[in-house]
Amino acid sequence: MNRSKLLEIKDLTVEYRTDDEIVYAVNSLNLSLHSGESLGLVGETGAGKSTTALSILQLVADPPGKITSGEILFEGDDLLKAKRDFLRHIRGNKISMIFQDPMTSLNPVYSVGDQIAEVIYLHEKCSKAEAQQKAADMLEMVGIPKDRYDEFPHQFSGGMKQRVVIAMSIACSPKLILADEPTTALDVTIQAQVLELMNDLKVKLNTSLLLITHDLGVVAQVCDRVAIMYAGEIVETGTVEEVFEHPKHPYTIGLFRSIPTLDEKVDRLKPITGQMPDPTNLPSGCKFHPRCPHMNEVCTKMKPAMTNVAGTHIVKCLIHEGKLDPTEIMEEVNYVR
Amino acid sequence: MSDNILEVKNLIKHFKSKNGTLHAVDDVSFSIKRGQTLGLVGESGCGKSTIGRLILGLHQATSGEILFNGQDICKMNKKQIHDLRKDLQIIFQDPFASLNPRMSIGEIIGEPLLIYKKVKRAELDSEVRRLMDVVGLSKRFINSYPHELDGGRRQRVGIARALSLNPQFIVCDEPVSSLDVSIQAQVLNLLKDLQAEYGLTYLFITHDLSVVKYFSDKIAVMYLGQLVEIAESDELFKKTVHPYTQALLSAIPAPNIRQKMQRVKLIGELTSPIDPEPGCRFAKRCLYSQAQCVGQDLEFKDFGNSHFCSCCRADELLNTTISQ
Repeated sequence: MNRSKLLEIKDLTVEYRTDDEIVYAVNSLNLSLHSGESLGLVGETGAGKSTTALSILQLVADPPGKITSGEILFEGDDLLKAKRDFLRHIRGNKISMIFQDPMTSLNPVYSVGDQIAEVIYLHEKCSKAEAQQKAADMLEMVGIPKDRYDEFPHQFSGGMKQRVVIAMSIACSPKLILADEPTTALDVTIQAQVLELMNDLKVKLNTSLLLITHDLGVVAQVCDRVAIMYAGEIVETGTVEEVFEHPKHPYTIGLFRSIPTLDEKVDRLKPITGQMPDPTNLPSGCKFHPRCPHMNEVCTKMKPAMTNVAGTHIVKCLIHEGKLDPTEIMEEVNYVR
Repeated sequence: MSDNILEVKNLIKHFKSKNGTLHAVDDVSFSIKRGQTLGLVGESGCGKSTIGRLILGLHQATSGEILFNGQDICKMNKKQIHDLRKDLQIIFQDPFASLNPRMSIGEIIGEPLLIYKKVKRAELDSEVRRLMDVVGLSKRFINSYPHELDGGRRQRVGIARALSLNPQFIVCDEPVSSLDVSIQAQVLNLLKDLQAEYGLTYLFITHDLSVVKYFSDKIAVMYLGQLVEIAESDELFKKTVHPYTQALLSAIPAPNIRQKMQRVKLIGELTSPIDPEPGCRFAKRCLYSQAQCVGQDLEFKDFGNSHFCSCCRADELLNTTISQ
């Protein structure tokens, strides 16, 4: 597999400005994605996951959104400096997006087939008839019979609609798919079908995938690498093996402890205390410190840096930087699942 | 008084629609012991919320009985239902839609107390503060409005409101599904603590099987208005009988990389609950369906340890230990 970097985000900062306050949605975020790789971006509501994805395609609504600094390199071109025509050429063609809610991301007055054909017709030098032919093939590929080409979105169930959206996103064989919570609105059995489909297509088409989700289970089933986001920053990243087997950041550990699992019997969950910080008024130092069980005075003052702990496993925490060193903390933090 | 606080017998709820009769709940029976939790699981549209609403008297049942402390809720008049609500409360799924945006948190929590004249006006404030304390809401929010609170806190307001009348039974309709995982765990722990402290009985409606396993003593699985399997929580996970329950269990992505999904495949998608054919509604999607599955009424079979399943091929399937 080609291991060149397909997408590289450097120091991305995005803010939403209103008359009386500034929401700091994404703060100096660094992220890279190789071709053929799938990365799970995990975080809770308001962590800045969707804003990151929207920034890549320059879809952040401006105003109030504003990308204040950073670079987004896609195949070496900085998308933040790109001209509008170039972006139009990229969107839906080289980078495509799957949105969370299949009910609202399809146009209700066009047949599903024509919506898929539109993408192909716009990006590929072909006749309308060829585009329609290819759209029909795409429908088959995601498991929808060709003869439903002329039906409208309201005639499809949620899972089928999400398949249509997936068909649309792969129609031009993109290099990168941004999937923003693609299965959150679906029932578990349907979710499993859609995940399986995405896994198959990933292998078949060798596309890279940036999967945004809050569900660690979905990441475990689909992704090669994972990045955990908190308050606009990535706090931990690594391969799924590294992060799932040896979570290091107190937030990641807290997330794992908050999920009831099917195979273990727990009497009581050990959730993270407190609430997500207010994005208009983020805590000083480490942004997680008000909720962290190992909080120390240093944490309120010093911003942690990205520290490499093993292989490609990187953690943003002062404990692992060695700024705090009581041994009992290390024992607790080196918790193995 | 019997051991069962709630008994549902042959409950049926049909809705009339333009295209025919929608069978939302069809011949469902179960019971809940005092102080325990029954988890009601199923996918969207399987009728689980309808059951919750029927129990509260928010819908009128088409036929069947709902015995709460021995009294049939379906036969009650308005006055009786009004009195019943002192003992029977509900926590709704969406804490954004279930709180009146024009009332302050204090007013929302205090409203039931005033309606049922549980406290004097003068004591209202202190009682509201006590309830806020019980659910872990900071008292500074007493004059705030719902839009100022995040999802987790709003859900705590919903819980405080449900607790205000000191009920015996609470229907929790997907109380945590709109919350983030870290907040979800906090709310689940709170509900568990309250149950231990006040001896509450819960009907816990959810689509999330891992939550229900953590939370329930007994689990009932529904599919398109029919109850398909009911058993003690541990038993259900150890010995899953119904093919639908198996499919449902196998579809959950485990947050564990060593455990890849081995999905029991389902054919197609949910069929329509409008004028369904008699017999097992799951038959059309079931890998093991045969001619005998359609046409005859469902019959519950006992598998010991109060484990019941409606699948007519369950015996065979269990013996051959269904190969996936």
